[in-house]
Amino acid sequence: MSNSDATPGPPLKLVFKSLLRADFEVFLQRRRALVVGLLLPIFLLVTTRGDKAAHQFDGAVFIIGLAISYALLATSVLGYALTVSRDRERGVFQRLRVTPAATWTIMASRLTVQVLVNLIISLVVVIVGTRIHHISPSIGQYGLVLAVSILGGAVFLSIGQALAGLVKSAETMQALARVLFAVLILLGILGQTGALGTFWSDIARWSPVGVVMTLFAGVLQLSDWHSRETFSILACFVYVAVCTGLGIRWFQWDTR
Amino acid sequence: MSETVRVIRGERESAYLVAEEREDGSLLLVPAQSDVVAVRAGAGDAPAAVAPASVVPTTEAILDVDGLSVAYGDQLAVSDLSFQIRRGEIFGFLGPNGAGKTSTLSAIEGLVKPRSGAVLLDGIEVRSHPMQAKARMGVQLQATSFQAELTITQIVRLYAGLYGVELSAQQISENLKEIGLGAEADKRFKQLSGGQQQRLSLYVAVVHSPLLLLLDEPTAGLDPQSRRQLWTRIQSIRQGGGSILLTTHSMEEAQAVCDRVAIIDHGVLLTADTPARLIEKHREDPKVRAVAHGEVTLEDVFIGLTGSEIRE
Repeated sequence: MSNSDATPGPPLKLVFKSLLRADFEVFLQRRRALVVGLLLPIFLLVTTRGDKAAHQFDGAVFIIGLAISYALLATSVLGYALTVSRDRERGVFQRLRVTPAATWTIMASRLTVQVLVNLIISLVVVIVGTRIHHISPSIGQYGLVLAVSILGGAVFLSIGQALAGLVKSAETMQALARVLFAVLILLGILGQTGALGTFWSDIARWSPVGVVMTLFAGVLQLSDWHSRETFSILACFVYVAVCTGLGIRWFQWDTR
Repeated sequence: MSETVRVIRGERESAYLVAEEREDGSLLLVPAQSDVVAVRAGAGDAPAAVAPASVVPTTEAILDVDGLSVAYGDQLAVSDLSFQIRRGEIFGFLGPNGAGKTSTLSAIEGLVKPRSGAVLLDGIEVRSHPMQAKARMGVQLQATSFQAELTITQIVRLYAGLYGVELSAQQISENLKEIGLGAEADKRFKQLSGGQQQRLSLYVAVVHSPLLLLLDEPTAGLDPQSRRQLWTRIQSIRQGGGSILLTTHSMEEAQAVCDRVAIIDHGVLLTADTPARLIEKHREDPKVRAVAHGEVTLEDVFIGLTGSEIRE
């Protein structure tokens, strides 16, 4: 005899609301990390104020794109992935998994808060960047910036998810995330300036940081939108699909 | 075993036989045709009165584990394990380190996928209906870890919500006061003492009044006062009609508290019965006699059956 139809589990709405609230409370506790994460992009915006510096980086819009990409990468790879890894090692996920909360709700709640954080970061960087570099985006362009933030954030979050799936130890994750972060950022900056030659410039252009930078620059200068920007959108979806696939396929809820 | 004791529960009257009268005045009561239902013991840190007559376990199984096998890669952790837990029963799951206790609990909790076998909780197949099954069980893991950034109040609100229980701030505050954590409401979990952490973990595990409570070594690392307090709370949960499955390395506690115990080693169930019957059954076993010092205890039976060598 089965009682499975008699009483269902707790309502999904209440479960998700509880998770979301807790994850938001955790985010509020870590808000200092958010502020620190914003300092370097803003520093980048300030130090590239002059025409010469902006020209070196293919224009001010690319600098803003780079600054947002940097901030999103930092919060997704160094923030999200490391937190997931640490919580897994501490047994936080195991404690949540013995409750009737579906595992997808646990991750979806965290990702929702992270997407919100990404939007806040992007808006702050764009507002500061456009003020410093004297650009006046329209309301529509701000909307597009938010849309690209979601897509760009998804690229970096999926990279973070892939890292969390492939690397079990929080300590290894910490080291690897920092190296990956440095490599991607350097590739984005040096590749974009052409300092590493044409070959690396092409690689940099289609790297995760490169395609996201291209998109941010594209929406801030819509008159220059070409096929490269369109293909960058496709590249973003490919990165998200591949990295999310890796992250889900190999993800383990505990370190055993 | 000759003296008869009559116990009145509501309008029902039941007869029990005194199985054992101990030096400290405690009694081991056995119903005429069934298992031991009441033990009064006072040794060490074990509770003084652990099984009031109002919580006599029924014969109805709340948990049915049938042919359970759990493997990690090629390593078989649990092999063809079968046992049942009745309503209102405290069931002790005993075994040396690495015997397969936590793996069994993990399979019941839905944390690991068994290689074979079935686990039914209140008639619900845990694997095919995990959410419904989890809604009926409360779990205290061996090492509980809540999000380090959350306060005690936030932790309670989160886990209550996950079990479908909506608590107001006032209700949380009152409940925390009840378990002696009123002053700690705004602290983080790591800021609590071991006993306070244990109390909170237990409270979170039973916030939805589960049918079955799973406790993995609940008294590990606790001082005698905290242990005593924990057992009192566990008793009150049982009095509320809940069943409890616990693992412990304290044979004294198991003997005093559990209605029945199962001894497991190398993933295989060696024996399961009431502590008194296990002692009786294995009293003359040469392996048990070899380790017993005087009167045979549950610990002697345990060591006799599982061996004296230290496990990692």
